[in-house]
Amino acid sequence: MLEEIKNQNKSLVKPLMGGGVGLLVLALPFLIGSILTQYWVFVLCTMLVYIIAVSGLDILFGYSGQISLGHAAFFAIGAYTVALMKKYLGGYMPNEWTLFLFILATMILAAVLSAAIGALLAYPAAKLKFHFLSLATIAFGEVVYNLVNVSPGRITGDNTGMVITGIQFLNKNPLPKYTLWYYFLLFFVGIALLGKHFLVRSRTGRAFTAIRENTHAADGMGINVRKHKIIAFAVSAFYTGLAGALFVNLQQGITPEASKQRQSVLFLTMLLFGGSGSMVGPIIGVAVIEILMELIRPLKEYQMLLYGVLLLIVIVALPGGIYSGIKDAIISLKRRKLVKSNAATKQESKEGDGYAGNK
Amino acid sequence: MNIVFDLFMKGLILGSIYGLIALGYSLIYKASGLMSFAQGDMITFGTYVGLLFYGILGLPFWLSFVLTFIAAFIFGILLERGVIRALMNKNVIAIYVVLATIAISYIIQNTAQAAFGSMPLPFPSIFEIKNLTIFGITAPAEGYLCVVISAVLMVTLHLFMTKTKFGTAMRSAAMDPVAAQSCGINTSLSTGVTWGLSAAIASVAGMMLGPMYAAYLELGAITGRKGFAGAVLGGYGNMYGAMLGGLIMGQVETFVAGNIGGTYKDMIAYALLLLFLFVKPTGIFNEKAIQDV
Repeated sequence: MLEEIKNQNKSLVKPLMGGGVGLLVLALPFLIGSILTQYWVFVLCTMLVYIIAVSGLDILFGYSGQISLGHAAFFAIGAYTVALMKKYLGGYMPNEWTLFLFILATMILAAVLSAAIGALLAYPAAKLKFHFLSLATIAFGEVVYNLVNVSPGRITGDNTGMVITGIQFLNKNPLPKYTLWYYFLLFFVGIALLGKHFLVRSRTGRAFTAIRENTHAADGMGINVRKHKIIAFAVSAFYTGLAGALFVNLQQGITPEASKQRQSVLFLTMLLFGGSGSMVGPIIGVAVIEILMELIRPLKEYQMLLYGVLLLIVIVALPGGIYSGIKDAIISLKRRKLVKSNAATKQESKEGDGYAGNK
Repeated sequence: MNIVFDLFMKGLILGSIYGLIALGYSLIYKASGLMSFAQGDMITFGTYVGLLFYGILGLPFWLSFVLTFIAAFIFGILLERGVIRALMNKNVIAIYVVLATIAISYIIQNTAQAAFGSMPLPFPSIFEIKNLTIFGITAPAEGYLCVVISAVLMVTLHLFMTKTKFGTAMRSAAMDPVAAQSCGINTSLSTGVTWGLSAAIASVAGMMLGPMYAAYLELGAITGRKGFAGAVLGGYGNMYGAMLGGLIMGQVETFVAGNIGGTYKDMIAYALLLLFLFVKPTGIFNEKAIQDV
């Protein structure tokens, strides 16, 4: 009896924790802004953008099992689409609200374009096996990088990139500079994560997981593998493209660096580090890697070297990523508890009510 | 007509380099079933280590060549034993090994940067004469050396793989490790040697690129990717396909650079790769992929 009452009380713990985390997340910019500088709030905002991008990659890799080493290409496509549209179409804006709506529209359009290109790429790429697919994504990434780096007619500003004045009013406000940006981005992160949550639990999401586990079995179950692979690519590209569109507005500019191989590897690192195939994994991965990158930034020349070394150590020591490491730890803890309580109940029933039982 | 021959010669030089690198990729894939992204940076390794021996220490060229070969060979074996073996033992999914090789690639790149600085370093030329003209085709003297050395290496490798006992043992270990082991072949040694050889080949390719292009950091990565493309073109895992694929890549790039312009040559190379991947991923020599997802 006592056990059941105890268990009833336990069920409040989770929502309380959730509420606590939620409050913390909402208060974060103020906390960070007061303890550290506004630069770190900017880093926080960048983290939010990356969370969307990496969640996209997670849908492709974590849930559908398709490797993409060129995802930064979609990031760049999203960013450059917004920048180009702003430069060539955003001529006269009567007031800031029209500008805001225009930028919003360009972001959605950029994400959709990114998804379309993703689907287009996926059409022939979906039939490729593991390493060929990764090579194709690398080649795609390189093609996009070369396109924006040496663009016809210099429309993308080539290697100097583009500067845009995006959503301005988020900067001019009584609060410190990047606070409103944080909430703006948090809104998008919320939608993105919610979308991912529902996608994963839907029929399509289950098809993704089936494809990841065993393509042939999934095919045998009647799942249209090709179609679902294309959907996975498209959705993933949408997310990453949206992230790119948000990024260019946050940074107020974009350079071809964002589409380089290094960026794709960074995304993949964040994903694998945090744990692929989960909601929380990308968040953990992005947070940890970004903080690490910022911490080693003062080392200048040695920054990338240390990054490489850290990456290697993490891969060799903790291949499942932090999330799976934590999961394993929790599981082993629970198992220990279960064994202990089993032993306790066995003891109780032995000494128990004196009933002879099997005697 | 002269221009065509000229371009062909340059394409041959570039292509022989790509062929060597592609060879390394295919060897590793054949032996371990893995993709190594560190190959491109073995080129960088070779260029800088070669520079160290030849330019800074002033050793004669052939000695630097041999030393670089040996150094890279040891590095390749260490890499295989240390990192790859550890990961394979943990039974992780293949992507982690790929990521590990990417990490190694960053480490090599940035160690070179930390040690030598980010400015391109001049690589002292091997011969006194700048350009040689044979049969009316003018090319840098080092270019001819490139082609000759590449050809010699490829032929030597071919003979090693087919005519020697150890080479044949390596090939059988690549084809079927279990069967090879039951025949008494040391597959572990064979894998190590494969990685070492690939690293060594890439390094000497880098060392030969040095006099023509100067030693700079990006050299390895860019050339490596094109070599990779060449390997896929010829059939990933097929030694001869790799050589042929590399030559084709070299020719295509040179002709594009010569006719359309230098800015788009990289893109054309990758576009060609994409085309091949979509249309005929098994490559020219129809090499079936070992791994099935």
